[in-house]
Amino acid sequence: MNVIEFTEITKVFRGKKGFIVNALKSMSLQVAKGEVFGFLGPNGAGKSTAIKILLGLIRSTAGSARIMGVDVNECSARLSVGYLPENPSFYDFLTGEEYLRFVGRSFGMDPSLLNSAGDRILRRLDLWEARKRPIRGYSKGMVQRLGLAQTLIHDPAVYILDEPMSGLDPIGRALVKEIIRELKELGKTVFFSTHITADVEAVCDRVGVINKGTLLTVDTVASILQRGVEGYVVQRFLPDGTTDRQLVPKSDLHTFIEQSIASRWSIERIEPKRKDIEAFFLDIVAVEQRHETQG
Amino acid sequence: MANLISINLLAIFRDKVFHGILAIAVIFLLIPSISSLSMRQVTELSITLSLSLLSVILLLLSVSLGATSLWKDIERRYTYSVLSLPMERSAYLIGKFIAIALFLLLTALVLGAVTCLVVWLSSGIYPPERPILWSALILCVIFSALKYIVLIAYSFLFSTVSTSFFLPVFGTISVFMAGNATQQVYDYVHSPAAKALSPLLKHAASFFYYLLPNFSAFDLQINAIYAIPLSLKGVALPFIYFCIYTPLLIVVAAIIFARREMK
Amino acid sequence: MMPKAREQKYYITFLMLAACYSLVVIALADYMRNKPFLERLGYIPSVNTLKVFAADHKQLLSASLMLKVQIYFGGLIEKAENKLQVPADYPAMSRTIDAALKLDPYNMDGYYFAQAILAWDVGKPDLANTFLEYGMKYRTWDWQLPFFAGFNYAYFLKDYGKAAREYQRAAELSGNEMFINLAGRYMQRSGKTEMAITYLGMMAKSARQLSMKRTLLTRQTAFLQVLKIEKARDTFFQHYAKLPTSLDDLVHAGYLPVLPRDPYGGTFFIKNDGSIDSTSGFAFAAVKK
Repeated sequence: MNVIEFTEITKVFRGKKGFIVNALKSMSLQVAKGEVFGFLGPNGAGKSTAIKILLGLIRSTAGSARIMGVDVNECSARLSVGYLPENPSFYDFLTGEEYLRFVGRSFGMDPSLLNSAGDRILRRLDLWEARKRPIRGYSKGMVQRLGLAQTLIHDPAVYILDEPMSGLDPIGRALVKEIIRELKELGKTVFFSTHITADVEAVCDRVGVINKGTLLTVDTVASILQRGVEGYVVQRFLPDGTTDRQLVPKSDLHTFIEQSIASRWSIERIEPKRKDIEAFFLDIVAVEQRHETQG
Repeated sequence: MANLISINLLAIFRDKVFHGILAIAVIFLLIPSISSLSMRQVTELSITLSLSLLSVILLLLSVSLGATSLWKDIERRYTYSVLSLPMERSAYLIGKFIAIALFLLLTALVLGAVTCLVVWLSSGIYPPERPILWSALILCVIFSALKYIVLIAYSFLFSTVSTSFFLPVFGTISVFMAGNATQQVYDYVHSPAAKALSPLLKHAASFFYYLLPNFSAFDLQINAIYAIPLSLKGVALPFIYFCIYTPLLIVVAAIIFARREMK
Repeated sequence: MMPKAREQKYYITFLMLAACYSLVVIALADYMRNKPFLERLGYIPSVNTLKVFAADHKQLLSASLMLKVQIYFGGLIEKAENKLQVPADYPAMSRTIDAALKLDPYNMDGYYFAQAILAWDVGKPDLANTFLEYGMKYRTWDWQLPFFAGFNYAYFLKDYGKAAREYQRAAELSGNEMFINLAGRYMQRSGKTEMAITYLGMMAKSARQLSMKRTLLTRQTAFLQVLKIEKARDTFFQHYAKLPTSLDDLVHAGYLPVLPRDPYGGTFFIKNDGSIDSTSGFAFAAVKK
């Protein structure tokens, strides 16, 4: 069973004066249990729309979406979900601790369990000192961390994070990546959207690229990286201390190494030279745009 | 539900607007001295002033809390974080409504107690002609609260269809004024004084009379001020009316709110 | 978002509540319609208190008070014609008018009503004149106020000197010679009934409200009948040099074809001094003083 399942989801926004936006065009996508799935796309691509449909915040125009097999129109579909909205905002008259209590109680958590889990998570996200202060006084980074804390509080199976790294400093970003990796180890499913390719490379198993409401490709990160190898940088040295660095095409690597060894070179380092996810992403989007202008 | 109600009550108690409005309640302290200026009816005047002040405070509270509560949640994007929790939209809406209604009732009871105290003090200055009918006074305060709870239900209804706070705030104020006038207008157009009016206008007046809330039915001030005994019908009918009219508004609001998109 | 089944449940709840509502609102409307008048007219706090709380809405408040009195009075007349016994609360009406005029001393509705009701139905022309004289200080251009006051002085209070002065004033303000003529005529005792008829006709002409117009015209009709009887009585007196003992004498002697009917439902009779009156007192029986 897929944990998250979009089946031909279409969303049309009708604005005033007959203004129409096709936010999602018949998108189908499955995320399996235990996967960390990165939803990559430029701003306004339809990432948030897809996520809001999952959370029942907006209604799809056509198609269906399920979480753990439950239709997202049922509010019970959200029982197994921890959701972090984009640029989140929480009842700012509450303290961080009170807000976590409120979320925990909404999920029907046992009070004693809620207390212990709350304390642990506040410490984990470095909010322990601020827990008794109203959220009104929190910095942007603190609010983002509280947002992550409220997804963790009830220990759900599915995490849906909308731009979890935005608004965080490098330390915060590292913390988020670390937490996502921990969740993966625990066998949780994480679905997160981002427009920053480096995030995807760092933590994802699979990635989906979306632009202008269309899902362009879905692939594993490993395979993308493998496909992207263009050649190798080989660093070698001679016994007399002469060093040398050469770029070797992928197909020539074998012969180049043999030749080097024959010529008494010692191989110091071989580094793959490859396109990163960003280049991959830019390629896909560029291809799409070329198609459009041709079409 | 209890979770939602308590959170929303907390929101009200920590709100600055609420503190400001309660500051107005200090005027209650002045009532005994103002009332003593009246030559004949010290007690009657003190009841009048207390009930009017209480009504003004409840009106301010119901407009400021009822009309802005939902709007504020949407405007400050709290809805994303709250509505994505496993709760029905209707539960969210009803929880919020009950919290504000409870708060209003609580305020009315506290200020009602203050009113009783003020009236008791004033009656000490100058004994009233007729004995004070405490039961009518207390019922008058409660019915005043019921009236404003109906008004809050209207403000919720307006909030569910509107994206700005203009419609909720001004719509609520308009309903308040219309609700107080319906009975008079209805009486007028169906009196011989208005024989010349067009039948269309009369039908329209009747239509709005049955559609809009009838706040005159909740007005027991005369009974409280002049110690006129209340009839069972005069208390029971408006109460039953309240018990049906308010849920009716909230159900409509819930249906609209459930369809609303949180873009 | 709501799944279909739950949405349906809401619609059903709505329909059920709407059905209950239609039942209870009819009962409530019925109750509100039959609420005693006193409660409807409401309690008016002291004028000074009202002035403070009305802030810049004094005129509005004044107008709404007058509207209240008019609706109240309209209902009263209707009930009286339907022979329903409803005691009218004239002190409450008078208090309300007083408050309305203190709030807005220019409110003509208030003076008109004070004149029409206080002078005739309540039998307090002096009180009406106090109102009118208060009004003249403000509505300095208005000929109607001195006209009303003059009538009250002449007809009810029999103070012909003051009446002439008020008519003089009305004539100056309106530029209408008729008032001068009236002023002269009203010095004569005999012109009393005709004077009332003219006066009622004029008031009825300027009355916009139907219930008020009807009240005035009914009274005018009564006085027209009285005038008929008075003329017959005078002819009788010329011929016999004595007053008839009863109105039947006038019919038997052929001075009146039939005995005129009192539109108020009373019976006309002749008093010992020869003046004509009615058992109704020229007011509907239900309308108590």
